[in-house]
Order: sequence, then structure tokens, then C-alpha cells
Amino acid sequence: MGLIEAQRVDFVSIPTRDRERAARFYGETLGLERNPNSTDTWIEFETGNVTLALVVPEEIGLDFQPLPFGALALRVPDVAAARAGLEDAGIEFRGETWDSGVCHGAAFQDPDGNGILLHHRYAPYRDGSTP
Amino acid sequence: MEIEHVDFVSFLTQDIGRARRFYADTLGLEIETEGEHDMELSCGQVTLDIFDPSSIGQPFAPSPAGLALRVADVAAARAELEAKGVEFDGETIDTGVCHQALFRDPDGNSLLLHRRYAPAAAR
Repeated sequence: MGLIEAQRVDFVSIPTRDRERAARFYGETLGLERNPNSTDTWIEFETGNVTLALVVPEEIGLDFQPLPFGALALRVPDVAAARAGLEDAGIEFRGETWDSGVCHGAAFQDPDGNGILLHHRYAPYRDGSTP
Repeated sequence: MEIEHVDFVSFLTQDIGRARRFYADTLGLEIETEGEHDMELSCGQVTLDIFDPSSIGQPFAPSPAGLALRVADVAAARAELEAKGVEFDGETIDTGVCHQALFRDPDGNSLLLHRRYAPAAAR
């Protein structure tokens, strides 16, 4: 490791202008588990390996900017099935689901316009292990 | 729907060579894979993907994702990075449960040095 010996990623910030709306989306629509460390003003969700933290930028003196296209890739067992479920919940996707030759991906935006991917790699990694 | 994992967090760059120097040399993250317009770095339990969107005709935008890198000591890590010319946004914050210091990569993507010192809540 280099200079700072970063050990892991403690969280990724999801910018929002409406914390409660975002909490409903990540908790209910996406079905993520709310971390018990959460408070009324700091809400975290667990994804299996990385914590997502809802951040209201205006509260800390920053302008709101959404995450750009594809900023966060969520692994799902079946991209087509997960996409169909979200579309039934009213989520609009950007373009068709793609097959890159190693993975399927589909891009959507959360209610704040943050760019999220549904992602499933089906090819083995270079070391032969499978996702 | 079932979400199993975060496969990667993606930052965009306008200069892949500059990004490589910053992430691999300054921050010291391990490169997993590398191409002409993109690279993947190991960030502990998650992959950080860095990509030049101009290579597929897409616009650049910096990410406000505030990627929180766990370090042993925020003050010490900050001093190391400042000595390498990294500029931080404001003072290190003590939230009451953690220390955090906000900085940006050369493309303006936002990161944090982070260390929680309070015990986790009971599950």
C-alpha cells in the first residue's frame, strides 16, 4: 500500500435533495438493509460489501450535483429480471440492456438523478475465479 | 429485487495518465486491470473503476461520491498527502463518531479520508 494505507472503503456518498425520498428508494424500492448506525440526519444502507450514505450537500455547504452516468454498479443475479422489477415500480432506464461480452448492464437514475447500473458479470475473471 | 454486492464505483477522468499517477503512486492503490482509456484499482473490498468517457464520445463530469477511504489516522494521512501537494477542502471534521477530511482527485472527483472511532450500533 502507498502513502496513506487505505484499508477499505467505509462508505460511498449518494447525494440527495430529499433524504426521506431517497431513503424510501434505497430501502423499499431497491430493498437494501438500513444500517443501525443511521440517525435522522445520517442514513446508511448496506449492499453486501459497501455502505451507501445519503448526503444532502446543501447541509454541508456544497452544491447538489448528481452522480454521473454509471457511477455505482450494483450486482444483481439477473439484470433483465431486476430491470423489469424496477420498471414496474416506475423507474426509467436509459437505453437498452447491454451485453459487453463479459457482463450485462442496464443504466438508470435514482429519484435525484444519480447514475446507477444494474450489473452482472457472467464471464470468469482473469484469474479464473467467477463473480 | 436482490442486490448482492457493489461490483464497482466509477470515476471519470479527462487524463488517464494523470489519474494513474494520482491513484497508484500518490494514494498507493493497487491496479487490478489497465487499458488505454480505463483502469480498475483495488480499494479494499470494492473496485474503483476510472474511465475516460471521451473515448466513447460521452461527456465528462466529476463525481460527488465522496468515496470514504478508511485510514488508521486521518491527521497523519492528510499530512502525508498534503506533503505530496494534495489540497483538502476545509479542515478535518470531527462528527462526534468519526474524523473525516474531504479532498478531490485531479479531475475533481470527491474522496474522504475517514476513520470512525465510536463503536458501531448494535444490530
